[in-house]
Amino acid sequence: MKTLIVEVMDTKRIGELVTVGRIFGDTPDILALGTGDVPGTYTKAYFTDTAVGANLIDPLVDLIREGDYQLVLLSATTLGTEIAGPLGVRLGAPVLSEVIGASADMTVTRPIYGGKAVATFTISQAPAILTVRRKYFEPADLAGTTTPVPLTGTGTTITLISEEAAKSEGIPLEDAEVIVSGGRGMGSGENFTLLREMAAILNAAVGASRGAVDEGWAAPTLQIGQTGNIVAPSVYLAVGISGASQHLAGIANAKCVVAVNKDEDANIFKRARFGIVEDYKKVVPALIQALKEEQ
Amino acid sequence: MHIAVLAKVVPDYEVPSADFELTDSRAHSRYTRMIGLYDENAIETGVQLKEACKAKLTIISYGKTEDISVLRKAIAMGGDALHLVMGDSDDPFVIAENLKMAIDGLGDVDLVLAGQQSADMDRGVVHSILAGMLGWQFLPQISRIQSEGDLWMVAQAHENGTRNLQFSGKGVLSITSIPENVPRIPVVRAIFAAKKKPVEKIEGIPGTPMNAKEVSVEIPKMESVCEFLPIEDMAETATTLLSKLREERYL
Ligand SMILES: Cc1cc2nc3c(=O)[nH]c(=O)nc-3n(C[C@H](O)[C@H](O)[C@H](O)COP(=O)(O)OP(=O)(O)OC[C@H]3O[C@@H](n4cnc5c(N)ncnc54)[C@H](O)[C@@H]3O)c2cc1C
Repeated sequence: MKTLIVEVMDTKRIGELVTVGRIFGDTPDILALGTGDVPGTYTKAYFTDTAVGANLIDPLVDLIREGDYQLVLLSATTLGTEIAGPLGVRLGAPVLSEVIGASADMTVTRPIYGGKAVATFTISQAPAILTVRRKYFEPADLAGTTTPVPLTGTGTTITLISEEAAKSEGIPLEDAEVIVSGGRGMGSGENFTLLREMAAILNAAVGASRGAVDEGWAAPTLQIGQTGNIVAPSVYLAVGISGASQHLAGIANAKCVVAVNKDEDANIFKRARFGIVEDYKKVVPALIQALKEEQ
Repeated sequence: MHIAVLAKVVPDYEVPSADFELTDSRAHSRYTRMIGLYDENAIETGVQLKEACKAKLTIISYGKTEDISVLRKAIAMGGDALHLVMGDSDDPFVIAENLKMAIDGLGDVDLVLAGQQSADMDRGVVHSILAGMLGWQFLPQISRIQSEGDLWMVAQAHENGTRNLQFSGKGVLSITSIPENVPRIPVVRAIFAAKKKPVEKIEGIPGTPMNAKEVSVEIPKMESVCEFLPIEDMAETATTLLSKLREERYL
C-alpha cells in the first residue's frame, strides 16, 4: 500500500506514523513540515517551510494524485485535524480520525463516546485519510536521515501573524516518566503550587484535567485527555480528578495510576492501581514531607 | 454579519464507563440528551461575537425532532434562530452535506463556528468536511476571534502554545474551550422566551456516505485493581505509597 505521511519535523511524531504505515505495507513516503534532513530513510521525502496546514491542501491534492498514494497518515493533532477533512473532500476520500488500532487488512479502530466504546471500521476505498492518536503506537526506530526535496505549489490563504510558545515550566509532559495532575477538586489555581512543589522533588511534570483548565487554574497546554495531551508515564498521580472517560483517554497507556480523591466512588479509582480516599490537602503535604525525608 | 453555530445533541457524556451500555452499537437511549460540551463553548463564542459585531446568530443542528427541546438552550443563551435538518445518519460526509444544505439555504452566512469535537462520535471532522464542501477556509481549535473589516483574526490553540492567524472571506472554525468561553447559564426569562421561538425544520437528504464501513462497536473491559491505602496516619500512608511504587519499579 503506497502511503504518505504528513507531519512536522519531529522524530517521535514521525516515528509513530512510520509504525502505522508499516502495518499497512512498506515504509511510507513523507512530507515533513520544517527544514533540514528528515529523520529516517524514505524512498521519497518532501519538505515545506509552510507552517500552516490549511495552506497545504492544494499542493497535497496534487502530490497524492501524482504519487498515486492510497493512504495518507497524519497525527490527531491541530495540524492533522486542519488538513484531514478538507483533503478528504478534495480527494473524495474517507476520513477516519483518532485511530488507535490498525491491521493490514485495512481495518482500523477508533474510540467513541469519550473512549467508553471502540468502533472498528474497514476501509474499502483508496485513497483514505487517517489521523492517528498520539502515543498509541510505539515510534519506529528511524535509522539514518533523508534529504527532502521541496514541495511545489504552496500558496498562502491563511497568514501566520505570530506564535506564542506556551510557558514551559520544568519537564515537558510528553517526556515525563512521572506526572502529577490536578483537577477541579484542587479548588483554586494557587493550590496547584502544592503539586508543583511535589513535582519538583519527583522530577515530574504537572498536568491538569479539563475541569481545572476551564477554571483557568492551569494552561490549556497542560490538559491531559482526549482533547488534551495523550501521555504514557510510568506514574500518573491524579489529584482531585473525577476520572471522566475523556480524561482517562489521555492516560490509557500510563503504567501506574495513583488517585487521591475524597469521594470513594470517584471513577478514577476504577483506573487506579493505588487509591487514597482523603482530602488532597492532607495527602499531598504528607507526600511532600515523605519525599523530602528521603532526600 | 451572519454567524452560524453548529450544535449536536448527544447522550450524557459524563455517564461513567461502568454504567455505559450500547443498543445497536449506539449509546442506550435511556441516557439524558444534551448539547455537546464543546458545542456549548462554540455557542458561547458565537454569542460574544454577535454582541461585539452586532451580528445575527443562527443555530444549526442535524438530528431528530426530539432534539429541539434540548437545542432551545442555545436560543436561551443568545441565538436568534434555530434550524434543524432532520436525519439520523452517523456518517460525517452525510452530516456535512445536510449542514451545507442548511447554510446554503440561509444564503448570507459569513462564518460558521462548531465545537472542536462532538461528545458522542468524538471525530472532530464534520465541520472540516463541511468547510471543504463549502469551499471555505477551515481552522481548528480556535480560542479567540476578532473581525477587522474583511479580515478574521483568530487565535489557535496548538500543542506548543498559541498561533495568531489571519484570513479573509468566509470560514468554518472549530472552537476549543478556554475560561472565557465557559457557557453562560441562561436566565429564566430567556429560557421561557426561547420556548416560544419558531424552529425551522428542514427535511434531510440521504447524501453520499464515505467508503468506510463500521463493522463493530465494543465496550472495552476495564478491570479494577485499585489497592486502597489506609488513611489513619497520613505520614505512614505517604511512605507506604512511595515504597510500594519503588517495590513495583514504577518510581
Ligand atoms: C468531547 C469531550 C472531550 C473532553 N476532553 C477532556 C480532556 O481532554 N481532558 C479532561 O480532563 N476532560 C475532558 N472532557 C471533560 C470531562 O468529561 C470532565 O468534565 C472533566 O474531566 C472533569 O474534570 P475534573 O475531574 O477535574 O472535575 P470534576 O468532574 O468536577 O471532579 C472533581 C473531583 O475532585 C474531587 N475533589 C473535590 N475536592 C477534593 C479534595 N479537597 N480532595 C480530593 N478530591 C477532591 C471530587 O470528588 C471530584 O471527583 C471532555 C469532555 C468532552 C465531552
